[in-house]
Amino acid sequence: MEQSKSACIVLVVMFLLFIYAEPAVQAISDIRNGQAPIALDVFKRAPSPTNLRAYEDTLREQSVVANAVRPHLQHWRFEVMDDAGKNGLIGRDGWLFYRPGVRFLVEPWRRAGEDQEPLRAITSFRDQLEARGIELLLVITPGKESVYPNRLTRRASEAVNGHVTTFMDSLKKSGIEAVYADASAESGGDESAYLAQDTHWTPSHARDVARRVAGFAIGKGWVQKGNAIYDERALTIERHGDILRMAKSEPLLKSYTPEKISCWQVVDRTTGELYKDSPDSPVLVLGDSFLRIFQLDEPKNAGFIAHLARALQMPVTSIVNDGGASTLVRQELRRKPEMLKGKKLVIWEFVERDLRFGTDGWQIVELPD
Amino acid sequence: MVFSSHIFIFYFLPLVLLIYYVLPARRNLFLLIVSYIFYGWTDPRLVLLMFATTYINYVCGNIIYRAEGDPIRRKRALVVSVAASLALLGFFKYFGFLEINLNYLLDTIGAPLIPVLQIALPAGISFYTFHCISYTVDIYRGEAAPVRRLSDFACFVALYPQLIAGPIIRYHTIAEQLVSRKHTFEKFSSGTALFILGFAKKVLIANELGHVADAAFGAETPTMIDAWFGVTAYAFQIYFDFSAYSDMAVGLGRMIGFEFMRNFDGPYRSESITEFWRRWHISLSTFLRDYLYKPIGGNRLGPRRTYINLAIVMLLGGLWHGANWTFVVWGAYHGALLAWERWMGKESFYARMPRPMRIACTFVLVLFSWVLFRSETISEAVNYFAAMFGFLPHASGTPLLAAFLYSPATLCMMLLCAVLVLNPVQAFDWVNKLTWPRVALLLVLFTYSLANLFVQSFNPFLYFQF
Repeated sequence: MEQSKSACIVLVVMFLLFIYAEPAVQAISDIRNGQAPIALDVFKRAPSPTNLRAYEDTLREQSVVANAVRPHLQHWRFEVMDDAGKNGLIGRDGWLFYRPGVRFLVEPWRRAGEDQEPLRAITSFRDQLEARGIELLLVITPGKESVYPNRLTRRASEAVNGHVTTFMDSLKKSGIEAVYADASAESGGDESAYLAQDTHWTPSHARDVARRVAGFAIGKGWVQKGNAIYDERALTIERHGDILRMAKSEPLLKSYTPEKISCWQVVDRTTGELYKDSPDSPVLVLGDSFLRIFQLDEPKNAGFIAHLARALQMPVTSIVNDGGASTLVRQELRRKPEMLKGKKLVIWEFVERDLRFGTDGWQIVELPD
Repeated sequence: MVFSSHIFIFYFLPLVLLIYYVLPARRNLFLLIVSYIFYGWTDPRLVLLMFATTYINYVCGNIIYRAEGDPIRRKRALVVSVAASLALLGFFKYFGFLEINLNYLLDTIGAPLIPVLQIALPAGISFYTFHCISYTVDIYRGEAAPVRRLSDFACFVALYPQLIAGPIIRYHTIAEQLVSRKHTFEKFSSGTALFILGFAKKVLIANELGHVADAAFGAETPTMIDAWFGVTAYAFQIYFDFSAYSDMAVGLGRMIGFEFMRNFDGPYRSESITEFWRRWHISLSTFLRDYLYKPIGGNRLGPRRTYINLAIVMLLGGLWHGANWTFVVWGAYHGALLAWERWMGKESFYARMPRPMRIACTFVLVLFSWVLFRSETISEAVNYFAAMFGFLPHASGTPLLAAFLYSPATLCMMLLCAVLVLNPVQAFDWVNKLTWPRVALLLVLFTYSLANLFVQSFNPFLYFQF
């Protein structure tokens, strides 16, 4: 077959059309929206490396064409190429997993001394609390990939977690009490302790862990049961899991049936109102999105915190920061030291992968006197 | 700036092509300006460093040329140009490495350590240093005359298509093109085709397999199968990444009238390591041959000296890739294999096997070298070798690695790569005959690659780090 001049013309014309169309469409769209073309933003700031990166990111993220194509391609890649996006992994039987969680289990500690950083930060925090007469109880939440590795890959058969086992030993040696919120202790039945499409636990497992933590604290004599009586109100919600939502594809969400989730809201028997935190509680709870789910978002007050309060028969105080349980929650506590007033116990929850991937690492945070 | 980025494809390239073809004159000056913008996009201060190297070599080139009857002056100017270029390269690339190793020695004898400077490596410095060296050496050898204008020389050094990761352009091969070059529609269309193929190789193959290789090399204890799978994925990644850059560079060059040398010629079809180096990163291997191997004696000083020269060239070639012992050992490994094959009469020790076996054996030998190349430290490489030969005990998380490695899409991709690398017709030749079916395929590839670009995060070329 010979070289075709007309084919070459078509190739060049189409190529030029592609590369000129995107900026043209963008400029038209910007002007129609009553603003100057974003391409001109480059002249608005000094050409420093930071500004140039920001400009490049803006062009990419605000691209009308890219934003129109991205969700459909992401959907296609999800269905055809098993690509659940930057943070997702597709497991078996409709289960989705969070990539950093799997990396935590598969990869070694990278930097020298990296494995010691969490222990140093926790010990420092424990010592500062101890000086104030406050006890510390850690709740280490496994990722779902630790509990259900066989739903990620057929090759894995039993629960895995080398790093946390070692870490728990180190905690024990340092005299720090911790509860490992694994599912094996109470999930005897068929019900899963984790949601299939989500990184988080189910409401029933959150409730089980809350009861276990409350029992541990009471057993240690750190707190005594209060007088408040809470009831449970059963309800079912439907939602797409966060791993699906991370793919940022509307067509993908539409192609998935939302998970039906049985929840139990915690209701104050006396007032009939939903559970509320109390700043005067002797218990302060710090944690990440595992405390947020079902508690601060739909259906509200059906998460770990409300069920902990129910098991302790008293309201608690809480600081919740998505992905920020390693350092950010303690930094917030430093900004609000009055939250420690009258406290006897701090319960600090974090997901195990944060031992390596916690936002801002494991800084030592000095609490004000 | 990266070729496979939103800003390059949709802003930089359209604007450059438009202005370039509208300009009636001083196109090299325009190319120089846009090349500096392209280069300075990472950090505008780096342009000053590049200009300093350019200026020194331009002045030295003129001195060498004008001092025709004064061999000492010529030699001095050459030494100054080469030494200055290498000194800058040495400082930015190797100073920290030297300090770390010196500290290691000081630590062993209990002496106080010296503070280690944190020096950021300017992108492309290894490449443009070689461009500069080729300029003064070519003039010294009488293979080329110096350029008249500083802006023309600066354009040669900074020319954006080949600036960051080659191919390494030798001055005498491009001197005439700098002064006058032909712009033809055939050249533009084949350049477009090559650019699209390179773009597709990078976005659709290299970036995808990069995740697989990263997972395998990042794992604590990969199984034997995982380790082999991972290093094979890396072999494909580095080939499709680096050759993609070269294809795009040559393609972009053709769009503005330049013709750069071919940098790859189906390296994984090689039947020996000697052949591999004739097909892999050709611009580097020929540069090292002509500007290092031959000047230190080549094969003219007897067999023993030839082996030593080969080892020196490959060691330095390894070190050129990065200031790390892994690259030194990588170079030494290739040097040893080349010397061995030279000793065997330019034949591999498996030369008697059937052709497919010879190709497979060469590929396996190359895979071993990629373990060194990909690992961040020697101990990581040793660990990975241990995994490849089943000597690594498994950690509890080991089975989960499968989730990163063996999706149906990845397996299909690996199969496709195997077919592509063994195909005798490579991208460079494929674009020479653009028929309707090929053009249709190119347009589909371009559309799909662009769509994938929108969902991928920033993913620079592997050779940017060198």
